[in-house]
Amino acid sequence: MASSHSGTGASGLARLRAAVPFSGRDWGLLLVIPGVILFSSFMLYPIFYLFYISLTDATFAGSVIGGGAELIGLDNYLQLFGDSQFWTSMSTTWLFVAVSLVIKVFVAVGIALLLNHARVVGKRYMRAAVIVPLGFPGIFTITVWRGMFSDARFGVFNTILGRYNGIASSLSAPEFLLFDVPIGFLSGRWEAFFAYVTTEVWLAYPFMVIIIVSALQDVPRELHEAAMVDGAGFLQRFRTVTLPAIQRPVLFASILTGATSFQQFLIPWVFNQGGPARQNELIIVYGYREAISFNQFGLSAAILIVAIAVIGLFMYAAVRYGGLAEGVGER
Amino acid sequence: MNALASVLALLRAKLVGFATAPKRFVVTVQRAVYDLRTGKRTPWDVGKSVLMTAFGLSMVLILLFPLFWIFTASLAEGTRLFNTGGIFPDPTTYNLNAYRWVLFESNFFFVDGDWGYPQLVIGGGNGLVPIAFRWAGTETGPGAVFNSLYLVSVTIVAGFGMIVPAAYAFSRRSFIGRKRILYGYVLFTQIGAGLSIATLVALYSLFSSYGLTNNLFILGLFYAAGAIPFNTWLLKTYMDNIPVSYEEAAMVDGASFLDTIREVILPLTKPGLAVVLIFVWLAGWNEFIIAQTLLSPENYPLSVELYNLATEGRFSTPWTRFAAFANLFALPVAIVYFAAQRSVEDGLSFGGMEG
Repeated sequence: MASSHSGTGASGLARLRAAVPFSGRDWGLLLVIPGVILFSSFMLYPIFYLFYISLTDATFAGSVIGGGAELIGLDNYLQLFGDSQFWTSMSTTWLFVAVSLVIKVFVAVGIALLLNHARVVGKRYMRAAVIVPLGFPGIFTITVWRGMFSDARFGVFNTILGRYNGIASSLSAPEFLLFDVPIGFLSGRWEAFFAYVTTEVWLAYPFMVIIIVSALQDVPRELHEAAMVDGAGFLQRFRTVTLPAIQRPVLFASILTGATSFQQFLIPWVFNQGGPARQNELIIVYGYREAISFNQFGLSAAILIVAIAVIGLFMYAAVRYGGLAEGVGER
Repeated sequence: MNALASVLALLRAKLVGFATAPKRFVVTVQRAVYDLRTGKRTPWDVGKSVLMTAFGLSMVLILLFPLFWIFTASLAEGTRLFNTGGIFPDPTTYNLNAYRWVLFESNFFFVDGDWGYPQLVIGGGNGLVPIAFRWAGTETGPGAVFNSLYLVSVTIVAGFGMIVPAAYAFSRRSFIGRKRILYGYVLFTQIGAGLSIATLVALYSLFSSYGLTNNLFILGLFYAAGAIPFNTWLLKTYMDNIPVSYEEAAMVDGASFLDTIREVILPLTKPGLAVVLIFVWLAGWNEFIIAQTLLSPENYPLSVELYNLATEGRFSTPWTRFAAFANLFALPVAIVYFAAQRSVEDGLSFGGMEG
């Protein structure tokens, strides 16, 4: 860059400058430092403090603040790893991430392909409409979905399924195609899990669609036309032209939304607080409840530290092997 | 004002575009019919287009069904929502009572809906500025929307003050530790909301021991801190796409360093800034778990009020009121989002992830 504001200090200053590894051209650091300080004091410092709490026998907020907690080493972690609830929570969380991610990718690629298709009239408006969920607050949309999945006989999905049953049985469909309404969407383990996944997919697909559509639009038309001239069918064109173009964006979006899914708190919390019977407590909900509902601050801190460590490793692997931070090095 | 005018112009263009969409649709249909008559397109060809369009349209409707449902629900105050009559409330019973409730009974604008008006008191205030400001005509005081606006203002001012210069430095300067800090930020990009809930236990203890609970200003700073990594990275990649030669050309013409920032960088980064503005705003506007834990009821922002409304009884959300409250809560976001939608799309498809 042209203007590097190298100072014209006195000789004493120059000697000082020679001593520290900070030269005039490093003044850009000064622009970055305030943000780093703010971020560290509100985000990194609490993590270290959380780690400290996880080493104590703190039971409630007062015992942490008042200094009534004693260091007990790694006992919380040992207790945690011997607790079946922890392993239930961990495996449910990973299952949630995996299942919702797979569905998300298929749904988003499908929507993006359809809304980028030459034959769809008014696709620009449809694209605008389809990403609307991104603009609404999570607490709003998630509560709405809880209403849709209401256990009540006349909840939205139960009503729809009831209608479907009526139509299907009037067509004398076999018994196994009918639903046993009302379904307790929020009171059965897998029913609730299904409700979580549906909502998670709905919340995350707009982000993926945006990224995939913009990748699709960068594919030159000539490529498609050339492939058509060569007699490639839809599937072949998808495999040889479309797929290479969207591979990286999809991978990228998967990493990002996967990481958010892992930290999903609102859906289980608003739906049924991770129930029934604590079977669907995703990891953050598990940690939160141990602190808020059961007054186990030390244990809760240990759970959350483990969660942060896992997500940290995940992001590190993504950055390292997924090329997420490409462009960091160049300037 | 300039920014406001351009946002309004953008909004107007969008509305005109939407309003004239039916006409363009009719023209498309007419052309298809003409092509059919003259034999330019076969019926099968036109049929395929119609089918695909219908397919796309029905998909959009299915995806937006929950939003449509909650909107109709907000119009049905006084009727039982979950009943034998079906999913949607009876249109003949539509009314605006839920919105009236939000305006004049809830804590949305004023506590218990007791409206007041701002008043300047000359001679009051501290010695330095002999003018004080207060709410008159309300017995209960200003409501949640003012807390939210204050909170978001702090978040935006603090966030922008730190994000924009840092993004510039990352994009245009090389300095010691640059790579390391940027790597750190990328690691933390997706650990926003989840991380703050994860550290809630520690946060609560820390804030209590420093006496910082129930402080909207500090909470606003906290949200800004959480928004820094992702948005700095976003804006940095956006700035990377502005050719350096523009600045060099300006400098050859005698522009100073600050001139290049003002005349080259900032104007060309506008769409990126719009996206960052939206994200930073959302960070402050939507969060409620931390807010609920750290604040006392008189300082609750809208998001916490909405959450309390949603969980008033475990299974008895007052749907119509909730829907009306939520619609008004989401309205400003939806308008800005709608106006800046193109920028959001461009901004999100930032570098690094292109094919």
